[in-house]
Parts: sequence; C-alpha cells; structure tokens
Amino acid sequence: MLPTNWHALLSLSLWISPHALLGVLAIVLYRRRIYRGFPVFFAYVLYETAEFLLLFALRSVPGVSAKVYLYAYSATLLLSIALRFGVIEEVSKQLFRESQFLRVSAKRSLLCIQGLLLVMGVVLAVYAPSSNSFRLVAGIVVVSRGAAMVQCGLLLSLLLFSRFLGLSWRRPAFGITLGLGILTSVDLAVYAVRAGFAPGVGAEFLNFLTTGTYLVCVLIWIGYLLAPEHQPVSLTAVSRDEVETWNTELQHLLRD
Amino acid sequence: MEYGVATLTQGLIATWTLVAVASLALGLLLYVALRGRTRRVDLEKAIQAFRSLDIEGFRNLVDSDEEAFLRDNLSPKKFREIKRQRVWAAFIYAREAGRAATALAKVGQAAQRSSDPEIAASGLQVAESAFRLRLQTIAACIHLLTEVVLPSLQSRSLPPLADQYERTAETLFRFGRFSSGRPGLVSR
Repeated sequence: MLPTNWHALLSLSLWISPHALLGVLAIVLYRRRIYRGFPVFFAYVLYETAEFLLLFALRSVPGVSAKVYLYAYSATLLLSIALRFGVIEEVSKQLFRESQFLRVSAKRSLLCIQGLLLVMGVVLAVYAPSSNSFRLVAGIVVVSRGAAMVQCGLLLSLLLFSRFLGLSWRRPAFGITLGLGILTSVDLAVYAVRAGFAPGVGAEFLNFLTTGTYLVCVLIWIGYLLAPEHQPVSLTAVSRDEVETWNTELQHLLRD
Repeated sequence: MEYGVATLTQGLIATWTLVAVASLALGLLLYVALRGRTRRVDLEKAIQAFRSLDIEGFRNLVDSDEEAFLRDNLSPKKFREIKRQRVWAAFIYAREAGRAATALAKVGQAAQRSSDPEIAASGLQVAESAFRLRLQTIAACIHLLTEVVLPSLQSRSLPPLADQYERTAETLFRFGRFSSGRPGLVSR
C-alpha cells in the first residue's frame, strides 16, 4: 500500500533511506574490520536496522493496532537511547586511550558533567512536563528529551576537551561523535517542542526534520568510515632527538 | 486559572530555552568540526608567542609580596584598578603557554604513531607531560580570571608556573632551532 500524496511519500522515503544506508554502514564496518575497535557502535547500527524492520513490519501489517505499535516503538526507543550512551562511552575511551593521565582525569571530569546534566534533565522533567495527555507518550517524550540533553552535552564536552587539550581524533571516532552529536542536538530541539506543545503541532515538519537529520548523520558516518585515516605527516618533521628534548624538558617542568 | 497560565508560560520558556541550547550545541559542533579540519599545528607561531613573553615581568605580576606592597601604598580603588591590569597581563601569559602546550601535545601524539618504538614511547611521554601542562595553564587561567573579576581577593603566588614558563620557553627555543624550515603538522 503506497502513499498517494508527496508528503507521505517523502516521509516514507526519509524513514526508509537512512536505515537502508545503515545496512551499508554495517557492511563497511564489518569489511574494514572497524567493528573491532567500535563494537558498541556496530551493535547500535545493527540494532537500529533491526528496529526499523520490526517497526516497518508492524506498521505495514493491517491487523496491528496503533497501541501495539506505540508499545513497540517506546520499548525499542529506550534500548536505542541506552546503546547511544554505550557509543559515547566507547568514543571517549578511544579518544583518551593513549594517555593514562587523561584516562583518569578526563573520566572524572566527564562523570561530573554527566551527573550535572542528569540533574538538569530530572529538574526539567519535574518543572516542564510534557503537555501530551497520553501518559506513555508524555513519559517517552520527557525521557527522550532528558537523554538527548545528556548525550548532546557529553558529546560536546568530548569535542571541546579534545580542542582545548590538543587531542588527536582517529577519523572513525570523530565521524561517529560528529554524527551522533548532530543527531542528539536536533533530537533535543525536536523533543523539547514535542513536550512543550500539544500533539499534532508541526508534527509533519518535526518528522521530516528528525528523519532528514538521521539521513545526514548516517551519510556522515559512512563518509568518515570510508575516508582513509590521515597519515601522521609529523613523522618526517619530528626526529627522535627532538621528541626526546621535548620529553626531558617537560619532565623537568612537571617535577617542580 | 492563574496557575494554569503560569504553568503554560513556564513550559514555553523551557521549550524555547531548550531549542536555543540545542541550536547553540549544533552550531558549536559544526564549528569545532569545520575548524578542526583546517587547523594546523604551527610550531613556529608557538615559539614566536613564547619569545614575546617576559618571564621576569610575569613573576613580578604574580608576586604576592609585590601585591602586598601595592595594597599597602595605594588607595583601594587604585589598587583594584592596577591589580586588574596586572592579573589580565598574567592571564595572557598563561594563555600563550597553554597554546604552546597544545601544540606540543599534538607533536607528542604524532610521534606516538611512529613505527620506531623508541620515538613512539618518547612521544607518549611528551604528550602526557603536555596534557598535564595544558591542564595546569587552564587552572591558572581560571584562577587569574577570578582575580580579574574579584581584584580584592588575596591572591596566591604562582612561582612554579613562572618557572614552568621559563623552562618551556627554553624548550621551545631549542625546538625552534631543531625544526627550522620544517613544515607544520596536520592536526588530524
């Protein structure tokens, strides 16, 4: 049963295309063996594809009620949120993997930021509850909004940390962080509007925005995973003596 | 009725605040991503920045005895004005040292990827030390900015930081001699 108007057709293609591309992404991750470095992200990609197949099947089968679809949507969304937290943890480990000092100090800082963002999410849920009259939908929207806020804050912190400390990103980790960052920031805005206004207000536009952003993010992930890793040009520019000189001097500095 | 209007207003404020925060986050993400693509580690520039630092001048700026002397001999208003200027100047020193540490961290990380295990091991140590130095300069900058806002606060002396600047400057000059004529490093 194909939709007849262009809005519905666009909506359907924006729903299907990113998930089809996620399948391509899973193949890229597997063929290039990138999944070994990013197992949680690989699981997330597979999960999102499977989730789409389930929801698409539920929507297409005529006998399935809207209530069943809603329950399935809510349950899969919660697991998706949990997996995104896992992906953030994974990229942060990748970012700080080469420095023992940063593994300890950055983890502590990120935990503090996470705690702060969680408190903000809870305060927001209490003081700005969803206006949706259906309790399950209202709850899901508020939880998603809080999660998007925490995730967006964490990803932004990672990018700012790396900038301030001069940390070098590996290309796949940067691509994953950028894509997920864009996705969560748009999610935050969309869920905030969904929670703040009556259901149906700008629903079509919000759906386009969500699915369109998802498509862009999947393309970013594929682009960054397919692009070759930068070779460190510096190897020709920094000799062993130079590095040793830096090392000795800095050890002196930090002993004082 | 009034309660309902207040709740609605509160909800609207929260909604639009979150939309603004999300837009800001998106803008920052894109800025960091696009800026990072074109940013290069310019060691020569870092050396130049250090050359412009007057270490004795910095020591003087953060010296607590000097501050006590000024506090005793100037009117409170004049003291706050002078202190703000001194602390701001010290902040600029710390900021420049931090920038050099960032460049150094990138050199260390690049060396870590060398196929020569000794260079890689040294690179690791350089990067670790540079990260520590960078965090110290960030802490110093926050401390100094607090003093700019609250000049009446009794400031602590920062002599170890001054020594660190001096040694880093020497290191940078030495590195400058080694690396002259070499290209800059690609950041990612």
